[in-house]
Amino acid sequence: MANRRPAAKKQPAGKSAQPKQAAQSKQSMQPKPAAANPHLLGEILPEGAYEVEVLPKGLHRVPRGVDELATEHLIMNMGPQHPSTHGVLHLLLEIDGEEVITGEANIGYLHRGIEKLAEHRRYNQVGTLLDRSDYLSGLHSELAFSMAVEQLAEIEVPRKANWIRSLVSELNRIASHLVWMGTFGMDAGSMPGFLYALREREALLDILETITGARMMFNYVRPGGVLMDLPPEVEPMIRAFLADFPTKLEEYDTLIGKNEIMQARIKGVGVIHRSTALAFGLTGANLRATGFGWDVRKERPYAAYPELDFDIPVGETADCWARYLVRMEEMRVSTKLVGQLLDGMPEGDHSAKVAKVLRPPAGEAYAAVESPRGEMGIHLASDGSDKPYRMRVRGPAYYALSIIDEILPGNLIADAVMTAGSLDLVLGEIDR
Amino acid sequence: MNPVLVAVLRALAALGLMLANGVVLIYMLRKVLGHMHVRLGPNRVGPFGLLQTTMDVIKLLTKEDVMASSVDKWLFRLAPLMVFVPAFMAYLALALSPTWRFSNLDGGLLYLFAVLSLVPIGIVIAGWASNSKWSLIGGMRAAGQQIAYEVPLLLSVLGIVLMSGTLNMTDIVRSQQGLWLGFLPRWYIFPQFPAFLLFMVAGLAELNQTPFDMSEAESELISGFANEYSGMKFGFMFLAEFSNSFIIAALATTLFFGGWLIPGLERNALALQLGPIVFMIKTYIGIFVLMWIRGTLPRVRVDQLLALGWKRLIPMSLAWVMLTGVIIKLPSLFGGVG
Amino acid sequence: MWGTGILKGMWVTIKNMMRGPITVQYPEQKLVLPERSRWAVAPKFDEEGNSKCTACLNCVRACPDHILEMRTHADENKRKHIDEFTYEIGACMFCGLCVEACPFDALCMSKDYELATDSTDCLTVTLLKDRPTPEPRRAKAAEVDHKSHEPQREGAEESTKSAAKPEQPASAAPVVEPPSIAPETEAPAANENEPMVAKEGDDVA
Repeated sequence: MANRRPAAKKQPAGKSAQPKQAAQSKQSMQPKPAAANPHLLGEILPEGAYEVEVLPKGLHRVPRGVDELATEHLIMNMGPQHPSTHGVLHLLLEIDGEEVITGEANIGYLHRGIEKLAEHRRYNQVGTLLDRSDYLSGLHSELAFSMAVEQLAEIEVPRKANWIRSLVSELNRIASHLVWMGTFGMDAGSMPGFLYALREREALLDILETITGARMMFNYVRPGGVLMDLPPEVEPMIRAFLADFPTKLEEYDTLIGKNEIMQARIKGVGVIHRSTALAFGLTGANLRATGFGWDVRKERPYAAYPELDFDIPVGETADCWARYLVRMEEMRVSTKLVGQLLDGMPEGDHSAKVAKVLRPPAGEAYAAVESPRGEMGIHLASDGSDKPYRMRVRGPAYYALSIIDEILPGNLIADAVMTAGSLDLVLGEIDR
Repeated sequence: MNPVLVAVLRALAALGLMLANGVVLIYMLRKVLGHMHVRLGPNRVGPFGLLQTTMDVIKLLTKEDVMASSVDKWLFRLAPLMVFVPAFMAYLALALSPTWRFSNLDGGLLYLFAVLSLVPIGIVIAGWASNSKWSLIGGMRAAGQQIAYEVPLLLSVLGIVLMSGTLNMTDIVRSQQGLWLGFLPRWYIFPQFPAFLLFMVAGLAELNQTPFDMSEAESELISGFANEYSGMKFGFMFLAEFSNSFIIAALATTLFFGGWLIPGLERNALALQLGPIVFMIKTYIGIFVLMWIRGTLPRVRVDQLLALGWKRLIPMSLAWVMLTGVIIKLPSLFGGVG
Repeated sequence: MWGTGILKGMWVTIKNMMRGPITVQYPEQKLVLPERSRWAVAPKFDEEGNSKCTACLNCVRACPDHILEMRTHADENKRKHIDEFTYEIGACMFCGLCVEACPFDALCMSKDYELATDSTDCLTVTLLKDRPTPEPRRAKAAEVDHKSHEPQREGAEESTKSAAKPEQPASAAPVVEPPSIAPETEAPAANENEPMVAKEGDDVA
């Protein structure tokens, strides 16, 4: 084929799909053996090999060419400046008419050296960096980092701090999913969804600003607990939000999800099979849409989640429609969780007593949280000084993006846009 | 008076109507979309933002007209004209009232559709001449879409032509006079409701408006065929798009909603004097519905769009025309009774 | 029936059209910021108008981006005298770490967010200039509060606001509550349960 870039075919990672094992980490992160894990519906593939399943009935790939007509393929640059690539993502597409032959993602336009900068910041300053990596869910990144530091320094977090952490995490999850929903609708062309989603997000950002002091770069979750206790005026705000949000969410679901045009556009598009998803290290809603029910809040519970009662939505058809349904349901689940957290908020300290300048003992720790995009993990290596030796961010959107090369071929350009939108990519987290 | 002078004056009046409509429609679109998005539209420039479009036009006139060096120069300059002039020509066939009309063509409807079919040529020229891959894709999509949907657009109104027996726009409106059963106006919306739905869908596709705006899909092609245009060249194409929406809405009013007729007052001289106002009110309600659809629905994908046009709309409109013809002929088959 | 979803969606849009706008007309109307809002850093003064800053340089060390700078000299009583305490407001990310680090409650995050200027000289602000330092006295835990205050920057009129910018006195603009996004709910019965009383005196790590 002419003009094919000699990019090396990526070796699907069987080994590196598992998180890096910390030798001295307190929690055991070994995955359960296949027989014991009820969520594993089928074996994980041996390393180095994967096979794509036969397409289910009804899904088809667009036929290529007519009568072997010799046509040229156009090489197009979608991005980095583009109204719908969700950040500065550069997709290099080779298209034949309207059909995408190959697609390649080219990242790095938002790289700011966060992991390197973290080596020169004290532990209480790293939160300011992580807020900016995944800017839509800053509290989750801060939480993962704080959990890693607490593992190393063996800090015991008070119960109330854990509950506050879960509360703000769930609020942040709803906010992030609202942005996703708005931009997803806008990718398809329906603009009001975006405006309505941001309107609801304003209520959430007001709540978070009342609690933490900032609308987006929170710098609130610290090793040991949280910075400040919840102010008294925030509870009526959250209750008002909870009273109003479910009806609004149904409205927006009607506007975007029940729309037949939208359904025709996203059903059967961007199918990611479970084996492919597992091989590429996908987590979060992207993985749950394939039918694999893995949620870090249930599998490796942290903060207040062991004490809370909730279900995780799992999809069936593994296409954009399933991802849409899973994320909408996640918003509903988060709303219920916020209600539970608010009702059961305990008394106590909002933070453990921690030294002003933390010097955790030398060692490595890995901590993961369920961010709106998947499993956000921080692997921290400390050498005993007041600055981290190495901080590695396991950004879930990075792995979601790596699957683009696999699933784009055969789709139309419009489908490419919808697929990239349904994976919930945030370039800040991918590029760091 | 000199007939040539009269014709020129009529053309200038049509141009005036077109430009005035453009100004009002752009402002109306921004306000309507703004309120649907729970915000205000423009409200700073002039009272309630009324001068916004004027300022936008001045801005477009004073903008630098950037033309990349690798474009096909004459085609690049021709394309906005090819998009604008047919829209202007289509205005000449509209009849706002028996006295307020720009021409009295016996084949007015046919002329209007013929002229509207020149617009996709302009879009394809714009896409090609821009020498940019994204514009090319937009132009090709327009070629596929707009040319495809002209067929159901024309076929859907054939039923009305059969029922009224004429292609003259004024006579079509006149044939909608009267009331059925004393209260229902004889507008063609009632007997030809499926044709109205087909006409709306095909009309939206002809207008390049959401849900059929694939050729300028903002979230994929940024601006589609008009990517490389700036300044008044872009202004022409922008204005032509809004003018087209007025034309389609005016067509719908003429064909389906009785034009300038107020039900029950057709012979009233005052009602005839107010005809143009009634016509404009009906047309603007139609335009509001178009903007409402534009502000709500997502975009239909290109292959689904073309499948809809070729595989669904054309057979449906053909079937409807056949049905209309049969039903019209039935009474005469039975000797004029029943 | 195919199409009901579309019609319902259009009903949603027209319903929202009848709702009022959720925006306010800035700058004629401004929203109320929550108490803990973190915007420009400002020094705090005691009742006599003296600054509480003792030039301990804790904030300078705490800033992740090193934008605070303090120049002092020792006066005749061997006490520090602040020559100039500058603050690169153009580079500040409003994280609040300096305020947390100050043991004397001499800094606070004000609510001043209208910081846009049109000359780069105004991007560096002098917080304190030519001030003696008081006796170092740890702020009692009960006196530390996390509320933000009105900005009182040293020499604010000359150095920060350039001549071109029109003065907008804060009292001229009516401060409004944001348009209600959620329906008004009754405030919960007071004191029924208070799980979230902010404990005064909680020192931050």
